[in-house]
Amino acid sequence: MTGAAGWIGRSVPRTEDLRLLTGRALFVDDVHLPGLLHVAFLRSDHAHARLRGLDVSAARRRPGVVAVYTAADLGDYWRTGPVLVQPVPVPGVVFHAATQAPLVRDKVRHCGEPLAMVVAESRYVAEDALADMVADLEPLPAVVDLEAALAPGAPLVHESLGTNLAAHAVQRKGDYDAARAAADLVVSRRFRYDRGAAAAIENRGIVASWDPKSEELVVWDTTQAPIPIRNGLAQFLGLRESQVRVIAPFIGGGFGPKIMMYYPEELLLPWASLQLGRPIKWIEDRQENFYATTQERLQIHDAELAVTRDGKILGVRDRFLHDTGAYDPYGLTIPINSQCTLLGLYDVPSYESEFTVVFTNRPIVTPVRGAGRQHGVFVMERLLDFAARGLGLDPVEIRRRNLLPPEAFPHNHQILFQDSAPLVYDSGDYAPLLERAVEMIDYERFKREEQPRARREGRRLGVGLVSYVEGTGIGPYEGARVTVQPSGGVRVVTGVGTQGQGHFTTFAQIVADVLGVDVGGIEVITGDTREFAWGTGTFASRGIVVAGTACHEAALRVRSKAVALAAELLGPGAQDLVFDGGRVSVRGSPDRSIPLAELARRANPLRGAVRPGTEPGLEATAYFGPDRGSTASGIHAMIVEVDPEAAMVAIRRYVVVHDCGRVINPQIVEGQIQGGVAHGIGNAFYEQLVWDENGQLLNASLMDYLLPTALDVPTVEMAHRETPSPLNPLGVKGVGEAGAIPTGAAFAQAVEDALDDPGLEILEIPLSPNRLFELMQAGKGADA
Amino acid sequence: MIVEGTYSFTGRPQAVWDLLLDPTVIAKSMPGTKELVRTAPDRYQGKMQVTVGPITAAEFAVEIALSDLEPPQRFVMTIDGTGRFGFTRGRARVDLQPENGGTRMAYHADLQVGGKIASVGQRLLDMVSRALLRSGLQALSRELEERLAQDGRTEEAG
Repeated sequence: MTGAAGWIGRSVPRTEDLRLLTGRALFVDDVHLPGLLHVAFLRSDHAHARLRGLDVSAARRRPGVVAVYTAADLGDYWRTGPVLVQPVPVPGVVFHAATQAPLVRDKVRHCGEPLAMVVAESRYVAEDALADMVADLEPLPAVVDLEAALAPGAPLVHESLGTNLAAHAVQRKGDYDAARAAADLVVSRRFRYDRGAAAAIENRGIVASWDPKSEELVVWDTTQAPIPIRNGLAQFLGLRESQVRVIAPFIGGGFGPKIMMYYPEELLLPWASLQLGRPIKWIEDRQENFYATTQERLQIHDAELAVTRDGKILGVRDRFLHDTGAYDPYGLTIPINSQCTLLGLYDVPSYESEFTVVFTNRPIVTPVRGAGRQHGVFVMERLLDFAARGLGLDPVEIRRRNLLPPEAFPHNHQILFQDSAPLVYDSGDYAPLLERAVEMIDYERFKREEQPRARREGRRLGVGLVSYVEGTGIGPYEGARVTVQPSGGVRVVTGVGTQGQGHFTTFAQIVADVLGVDVGGIEVITGDTREFAWGTGTFASRGIVVAGTACHEAALRVRSKAVALAAELLGPGAQDLVFDGGRVSVRGSPDRSIPLAELARRANPLRGAVRPGTEPGLEATAYFGPDRGSTASGIHAMIVEVDPEAAMVAIRRYVVVHDCGRVINPQIVEGQIQGGVAHGIGNAFYEQLVWDENGQLLNASLMDYLLPTALDVPTVEMAHRETPSPLNPLGVKGVGEAGAIPTGAAFAQAVEDALDDPGLEILEIPLSPNRLFELMQAGKGADA
Repeated sequence: MIVEGTYSFTGRPQAVWDLLLDPTVIAKSMPGTKELVRTAPDRYQGKMQVTVGPITAAEFAVEIALSDLEPPQRFVMTIDGTGRFGFTRGRARVDLQPENGGTRMAYHADLQVGGKIASVGQRLLDMVSRALLRSGLQALSRELEERLAQDGRTEEAG
């Protein structure tokens, strides 16, 4: 139900940008309170070591140090954290939970685990005090290699488990063995997709302030999940939920790691503020971020694809190892995403997918933009490329022949998704996506004219075209409260936090259409538990789907209230009302109208009687929880030029055709895609965390860990297609991760196409000029 | 990290041996060594300060234990250095062989480096350690030549 204004679907300039661009947006580090203390953490230099002793006495004596805490000082507060996401109930699933405690008591399990916390009058003093402490660490052999970790006799990350196996699950659909037997061609390969950092521009930060007089704890936190953090802190500290207020202000990028609960710092700062009765701040530095913030994941896949001679998919079998790092607080979310997303846009009659999750002495793995989806997409898209090569088919053609047809929806893949619901694609229309991308990148002409011409000039150009699906907008639920204030201003409050997604604008657009008001007159509040205390957070590309729909439902309720009141006030026949320009009027009789603000005043009478059950004000709260996630989809295509000498790759063009259902704000969707592609390009060719055999991270700085710059990321050419989701009244699907998911697969295909060497196969991501050069040399060797 | 190589001294193995096991000489020769004392016949303790790329003047408390001594041919050093910016630990094998009236020293060290020095200094670590070692060995060589010259003079005087 939308008004005449038609805000939905318009590229309304982001209303939050004025504050952001003029430096008036509040970030955690902008919080300055009288008497503020500062924190630094002593972190382990070893990846795996027994803590035999920790002498902090000299640090405690340093002038300016207020307190130093070790595990022993925490007393009963020393306990391991919760498993945030219960494992998906796949039949026969094995899951060994191991979660982190705030400070190391007995054993260090990854580099950078915190050993002690210093609270001081300034960060300088706190950092200096770190040098006063002596940690007696007995180094243990580190668990780094995934296969070695599972071998008998391997050192154990968690001795009590007796194994480094964190989880194991198999999901099946159809009869893969029969499919394999019937196949004309089976291609099998080993793929490796390595670790990266989320590298948000703003590191994590926390300010905790316990006021002994009001007995209230206020925490500013760079979290994507303020409400669960509030509930968790109350429980941890033995406070009532109403005594804890968590504020997630503006945040410079979330990308997944900031959904993690509970980071040690997130528990320790509030706890220490209660101990000391003073406000305390900690801002993570970039180096800490490489260890203390969760990361992306290494996976190793042994996968095969069975096809007929005309390229029809008969089945896929995949067995993969997943590195969860030292702990597994996030359950099976990431490997399940890999497992489910592998099926892509395709009709896959049989599927057998088995994964083993492995503990290693590396930092904790939790979802990072894409959350394992890119791994599944990489495996499937690469297998299709090799099958096409084997059958003499064009890569686009093999994809075209396997797309699910429009009548296949809803399509049940017969396995379970990360939300524990069956993996059912709600809607989609894939062939037009593919054809539009082929047309936009001018695929045929590129292959026929441009590529051969460049080759004659000694230039190596190549094209890659791949597809992806993105399971988005999962439950459980979010809520929103919409209020028309007597001043005329509309206030929208929701519990999700915001990290740059444009929620202030898109939520306002949704409400503006329902109430017929201007977007500029709507104030949107997110991420403050005092304002709204029900909900889960911003993750899984679900903001617009779940919270956006809740805003819509709440606005509809306000509208119903306004309709009832206006009908009384505007007299007989006032049933069919128009909401426009901040006024409510009788359709066809614009003179019979009343401003919304006036209705809001009338809805709050000061004297007189109202009917029983009347709620005052033009205000309503609503919640929305979908049955399951809605599935977005798209095609990425790129043209690259590879320097055959230096193995440098320049991306000449990048095309994305995508379907995230109904688009609320095209410009914001395009921003999400452009940013996602930048992430994907980093993932494909620049960003890799490099570890030595002792679990030491060898590139923990932005000097050595390369992020793509504006020069490396082309402006993405985009087209939107809209297949509305039937799972929510707005018909929306999420788009937050879309850009980052298929980039590696497209990149690999394009680079191979450019080099045109049958001996060269790209089976790993990330690449780098160095690594590509090695592969090119090896390819030549195989060819000769 | 593996650090290995050979170096030729002009003096005989016994002279080189005496030199290598003398903490005052090592302290003087190895760049960045702020102090080095013998705490037991086969144990040394000291402080070193090194600069690796962005990490400047990182101080390490160093403990060295000698073992498998076969004077004047070979010994093994176990090194354990820790500091604010990380740690280095490992074993080094040193072999001395007579060569044309002088000594050929072969060394092989397998070192584990961790913490900040590994994570932000990695690119330069190899180069820096080679450069430090090279200049240390040259300083030792000069020291040895001075000693030999002095011995020669003493002999002449005697």
